Amino acid sequence: MHLVCCLKQVPDTAEVKIDPQTNTLLRSGVESITNPYDLVALEQAVRLKEQYGGKVTAISMGPPQAENVLREALSLGADEGILLSDRLFAGADTLATSYTLAKAIEKLNQESPVDLILCGKQAIDGDTGQTGPGIATRLGFTLFTYVIEIPWIDINKKQIQVKRKVEGGVEIIRGPLPALLTAELELAKPRRASLPLLIFSLRAEVKVWKAEKINADQQKIGLKGSPTWVKKIFPPPLRKGGPKFDTQENLEVAVEQFLDNLLADKKFADSLLGRWET
Amino acid sequence: MAKNKKGVEIAQIIPDRCIGCQICLGECPVGAIQITSAGVALIDPEACIGCGKCFQVCPVGAVRFERKRHFPINKEKREPEKREAVEFRGVAIFIEVVDGLGAQVSWELVEKGKELAQKLNVKVMAFILGYQIQKIAEEAIALGCAEVHMVDHPLLKKYISQPYGKALAFLCTEVKPEILLIGATPLGRDLSAVVATYLNTGLTADCTDLDIDEERGLLLMTRPTFGGNIMATIYCQQHRPQMSTVRPRVMKAGEKDFNRHGQVYYHDLTVADTPVCEIIDFIREVPQVGGVDITIAPALVVAGKGACDPSSLPMLQELADLVGGQVACSRPVVEAGLMPYERQVGQTGKTVAPKLYIGIGVSGAVQHLVGIQGSEKIVAINSDRHAPIFQIADVGIVGNYLQVVPLLISGLKKKLHTAGR
Amino acid sequence: MIENFDVVIVGAGPAGISAAYILAEKGIKTIVLERGAYPGAKNISGGVLYGHDLGQIIPGFAEKNCPIERNIIESRIWYLGENGGLSLSYRDKVFSGDRKFNAFTVGRAKFDRWFADQAKQKGVLVVCGTVVIDLLRDNRNWVIGVNTDRPEGEIKAKVVLLADGINSPLAAKTGFRPEPKPHQVALAVKEVIELPAEIIQERFNVEPGQGVTIEILGEITQGMNGVAAIYTNQHSLSVNIGANLFDLSKRKIRPYELIEKFKNHPMVSPLIQGGKPSEYTAHWLAEGGYETIPHLCGDGFLIAGDSGMLFNALHREGLNLAMTSGRLAAEAIAEALAKGDFSRNGLKTYISKLKNSYIMHDLKKYRKFPHFLNLHKEMFTTLPEWTNLAAREMLTVNGIPKKKKQAMIWREFRQRISLLNCLRLLKDAWRSVHGE
Repeated sequence: MHLVCCLKQVPDTAEVKIDPQTNTLLRSGVESITNPYDLVALEQAVRLKEQYGGKVTAISMGPPQAENVLREALSLGADEGILLSDRLFAGADTLATSYTLAKAIEKLNQESPVDLILCGKQAIDGDTGQTGPGIATRLGFTLFTYVIEIPWIDINKKQIQVKRKVEGGVEIIRGPLPALLTAELELAKPRRASLPLLIFSLRAEVKVWKAEKINADQQKIGLKGSPTWVKKIFPPPLRKGGPKFDTQENLEVAVEQFLDNLLADKKFADSLLGRWET
Repeated sequence: MAKNKKGVEIAQIIPDRCIGCQICLGECPVGAIQITSAGVALIDPEACIGCGKCFQVCPVGAVRFERKRHFPINKEKREPEKREAVEFRGVAIFIEVVDGLGAQVSWELVEKGKELAQKLNVKVMAFILGYQIQKIAEEAIALGCAEVHMVDHPLLKKYISQPYGKALAFLCTEVKPEILLIGATPLGRDLSAVVATYLNTGLTADCTDLDIDEERGLLLMTRPTFGGNIMATIYCQQHRPQMSTVRPRVMKAGEKDFNRHGQVYYHDLTVADTPVCEIIDFIREVPQVGGVDITIAPALVVAGKGACDPSSLPMLQELADLVGGQVACSRPVVEAGLMPYERQVGQTGKTVAPKLYIGIGVSGAVQHLVGIQGSEKIVAINSDRHAPIFQIADVGIVGNYLQVVPLLISGLKKKLHTAGR
Repeated sequence: MIENFDVVIVGAGPAGISAAYILAEKGIKTIVLERGAYPGAKNISGGVLYGHDLGQIIPGFAEKNCPIERNIIESRIWYLGENGGLSLSYRDKVFSGDRKFNAFTVGRAKFDRWFADQAKQKGVLVVCGTVVIDLLRDNRNWVIGVNTDRPEGEIKAKVVLLADGINSPLAAKTGFRPEPKPHQVALAVKEVIELPAEIIQERFNVEPGQGVTIEILGEITQGMNGVAAIYTNQHSLSVNIGANLFDLSKRKIRPYELIEKFKNHPMVSPLIQGGKPSEYTAHWLAEGGYETIPHLCGDGFLIAGDSGMLFNALHREGLNLAMTSGRLAAEAIAEALAKGDFSRNGLKTYISKLKNSYIMHDLKKYRKFPHFLNLHKEMFTTLPEWTNLAAREMLTVNGIPKKKKQAMIWREFRQRISLLNCLRLLKDAWRSVHGE
């Protein structure tokens, strides 16, 4: 099987903070990580390789430092890492991104037919979940989103059966290969890289592909290929914080004051004590 | 203004304001801008030719540049394809079908769609796909849709990405709405991405607000970015339809009035004979003990990373019962396997807007706060006095929750007793 | 099992990287295993680095983008009472001239990463996020490699250098260095307080890029054996205070309280006024001195840096000792590899190199110092109290004749400290810094 895994480097958004006075992002010490959902997709890809034989190609679109994402992929079992990095790719929204990744996978497909593409269900910085479906649509691959399990793959009949999360339950659906699936967290728990592979990944060469290499139409990539533009930016409507009572001095007093403050508004207090029946 | 060695007046990045969106990178005609390892843009002073394009396109004013009137800078970045833009009219809403009825989120969007359509002076239309769905057309009209466009076909009985994607894209090319709104349910997110790609148009997901730029007749879509740290207002200049998904319970649905009138159009499905997927089975989610929908609970006791202790769950449940609410949690608790994903509150979980939100050991990471902004009262218990949640909590306690919550419970019981309940 | 290396170094801190750098320059195949997510992730120091030792490893480091916070041009010592304190300071032009970068402040996260990058450029493999859990031995009980917490995580090597810091769980597990006893370590807490560079320069009276260190003793450690310090960084101040772990646990004082009181001291608060606390960390300091140094050399292994308790508590020097011990260990290892003898015998040139360096000279010199401090707690209680009182009274002009004042001060002295005790203190102090 030739499996392709798409990964994205994202800021660790749990750590990104904003300066409330200047509305600027506080970047010092914010590390970049590999999108956690993509690591789940990668783990599943590697397991399928181990089960059915074949190879896993990891690709990522990003600035030069996104190379770390591919090295991480190599340490976790990917056979090859390709970074799509070009000034021309900058400023891309999801439409241009899915175009770029689809062109790259098309190129990979020419050398060795791709059977399955695995992506994370969404990136934790954008949270749009649009890129995977976009790639599938462009390549004409069968699309399965929010996959939580892969019961079986029949390589000869070119069929795959997956379990996916839908509103209100789980759907079992079967369809033809080649396919693209987006991974839910439950799909596979990422492994800890083995020491030999970790050392291998530190030394390995990560290929860098530019727009020319993937025959990209320059009108469809980067900023030029992005229909949506940002008009303006502003801080989210922030609530103002109220008093906080410290239990360090006296626990009982603090809790007492807290409750008094909570129930100070009579209407709210009545509502709460009436368990919201009013 | 700063000059480089050649005496050219150059542009400079103000690093603290830069959000690393890379728009300037793409615009620079000489490739003088790169992104540093700190994630901010940096202009090579010697390569800069002082054209000021980066200054123009920066959405956050992070470029220092004073334009001298040497070059007239062209404001139009692309040739507007006027013909296309004028041909598209109307606000369309995709109506998701759940158990034979229109999904609530779709009706919420219809109400918003009416507001947008009024500003544009165009019609509101419902796009419905499915099998034997005439009843839903009636519902749509009752909620104010002037037109309903249907594709009613056995192949569309259950949702599968490709046939639905093709059908909806087909409706768009036939009817040519200028705006298409879809509820951001799992189905909606899947479908919208497929349709946007088929139609080669812009899609903005999880919008928290929609408005019209009346001067240019454009849809303005506001959504949180960078995990909710910054709100961005986005528009789709030329491509049509302008697509947007909105999460359930962000907009408000209107009242049904079955005296309203509207036109219903049936369209034929034309799908190529490609092998389609087969749904083998659907396993309905077994509701947890006391099947809980945290999105409708009037009060929530939310456990965060600081309260990730299985032995304290009964205590939290007791508090939740006392305040007439449910127990929920933030992402770290789900990742630790303590509560199911159905109880997760936050950007990647559920958006909630209870009357009372009690955060216990919740630090207040922005992705979590984005999911609770609509709560009436937010209170927090955390042992870290610097926890960000205190910045938005109406009242808080700094202390160990294991000590505070029992006292809170006894205190509340007393108040309930005094109130005669 | 993976490929063999010549040397495995446990820990990508200053000792480990110094050794790795030197070994790589000599073409020796080296791998460094670091438990943190990146070099420096788990490291904290007050923040002062002495350029001489770094210069012996990477000459011209300042030109190689070494992340220097501020070059120290003035050093102060404060002896604090409750309401104020005595101050002694020395500033010299030469520290911005000929002796520039004699001492400078660094941020460990930035510095350690830069330092590791230098080693990586020389060909060293630095593997992060990997914990060494045990040493591999052969049937002679010689160390022949390490075992890590990763799958297939064993690496064989000719020599293993243990440079995994003061908390080294490996040292404790393998018995090479017994777990330090409470009175042999100090627990220090540090807060980084952000202030604009201009304000720092104004308050400390320095130019951009220049800085000041303040070492502080006195009542601020609340009678416990400890010191505090304030160091200037580019956009922040490092404020640290620590006390002997034994004292802390006996007095049941929480480190957080200690630092809060310190920050509120009238000599300290004006300096940090308006600043924003950004980081709060705690760390152990090896205070035991010479007496606590374990065997640093064995069959197939060496120990360098804090892991070997190589820390000068009196002068608060740790980074430089770590670097130099790492460098000397590398030299000894290179010699052993050339001879093909990695036994204790083949590696013992390390010990003689240490003995000939300032490291052992200084540590030996001050071997009695830890004991002295524990013995003479007056240093932190009555002595600062009295010196402050003496200064306070002498400086107050209130009509009392000077002779009377002197008599009062002398009376206070006899009451609080007593002449005999003072003489004993002076004798012990003299002895402690002249240990042979």
